[in-house]
Amino acid sequence: MTPQEILIAEAGEYVAGLMSPMEAENFERMIATDANTRAAVAMWREKLMPLDETAPQVAPTPALWDRIERAIGDEPMVKPTGQGFFTRLAGLWADVGALRLGSMAGALAALVLAVVLVVRPDAPPLKPTVVAVLNNPTTQEPMAIVEAFADGRVRVVHLRDVAVPEGRTMQVWTLWDRQVGPRSVGLLERPVERQFQTSGFPQPTGNQLFEITLEPAGGSPTGRPTGPILCVGRATTPL
Amino acid sequence: MTASDPDLKSALMKVAAGDRAALRVIYEALAPSMLGVALRVVKRRELAEDVVQEGFVKIWRNAHRYDPSLGPPKAWLFAIIRNQSLNLLRDGRREDLVDQVPEPEGEAVEAFLAAERLPDSGRLKHCLEGLEPQRRNSLLMAYVDGFSHGEIAGRLAVPLGTVKAWIRRSLLSLRECMG
Repeated sequence: MTPQEILIAEAGEYVAGLMSPMEAENFERMIATDANTRAAVAMWREKLMPLDETAPQVAPTPALWDRIERAIGDEPMVKPTGQGFFTRLAGLWADVGALRLGSMAGALAALVLAVVLVVRPDAPPLKPTVVAVLNNPTTQEPMAIVEAFADGRVRVVHLRDVAVPEGRTMQVWTLWDRQVGPRSVGLLERPVERQFQTSGFPQPTGNQLFEITLEPAGGSPTGRPTGPILCVGRATTPL
Repeated sequence: MTASDPDLKSALMKVAAGDRAALRVIYEALAPSMLGVALRVVKRRELAEDVVQEGFVKIWRNAHRYDPSLGPPKAWLFAIIRNQSLNLLRDGRREDLVDQVPEPEGEAVEAFLAAERLPDSGRLKHCLEGLEPQRRNSLLMAYVDGFSHGEIAGRLAVPLGTVKAWIRRSLLSLRECMG
């Protein structure tokens, strides 16, 4: 088979749900980065959709909508805005397949988080005010955990290795107010656990956004995120 | 009730901005079809409702990620439902299903029905009919019933490698036929 045929076949297998979770995850990376792959997936979705339309119409029980409303009850929304922090996020749309993975990844992240919070022997007595799991915006893989403390410390724990190219650095950002815009927490050369001391930031709050971007060595030249988002997530208050 | 692509696109944009009424619009338009799609995979009504519930939570959370370069909005929405259906099976409930719902051996009724119900005028029906029956069925059993390669091989009593090859060939033939 030619490379194009392989792509067409793999995209079809992906859309038909024939890939293992691991294969699907790898394929979703290609969807995120390669326009040809994206086009092949879109083609299959569109061409095979008539099969979905042959499904019998089944009237939902009246309670189903109530269940949905309850389930989304107090969900924080991640809203794309016309400009600023989220526009790039919106561009890095994720594939629905990633959503399926996301649920598994979320469970894994919760587990890791529990372990990190409970097991770490050198943890200072202070409890973090907020904790955020940062996911890859495309694959929804949990990449890092951020804990922000009342005394201005921000601790970053990585869950996955990240290859930082020569001449680049990771930069940690936080956003608590769109008017203020994202503020730099600090730089990371490699994905190692690191604690930053911040000052001049307000007390961490739930829903505060954290993200890590790839920037030129020495950090973003503009003081705002300029590079691709490696991972992003919203903070929540631990119980 | 049907919803056009532009309707669904604008509803998704509103959902992305936190508009619950727009989510309800999508629900009214597509929930019955979505339940039907989920039911073909999970086989039980209450599980299909679980799938649709989780599917709508995902739509709510991820509407801002919808991108037209990934296909029409309806296809994206159905893909969420099919993925969620497969998730539910992979979460280990398939055992229960097999115990409680005896399925006909060696065939996949839903897959056949789906192919029959396709509109006669459509390209997909025409091109599927051009495929050798077992190859066509392998592909439909995957897409419509949510069977894995292994399950299809078991049901059709052919080696796994054969099923994989059949489906790949079917996909390439379909692509060529549909243009």
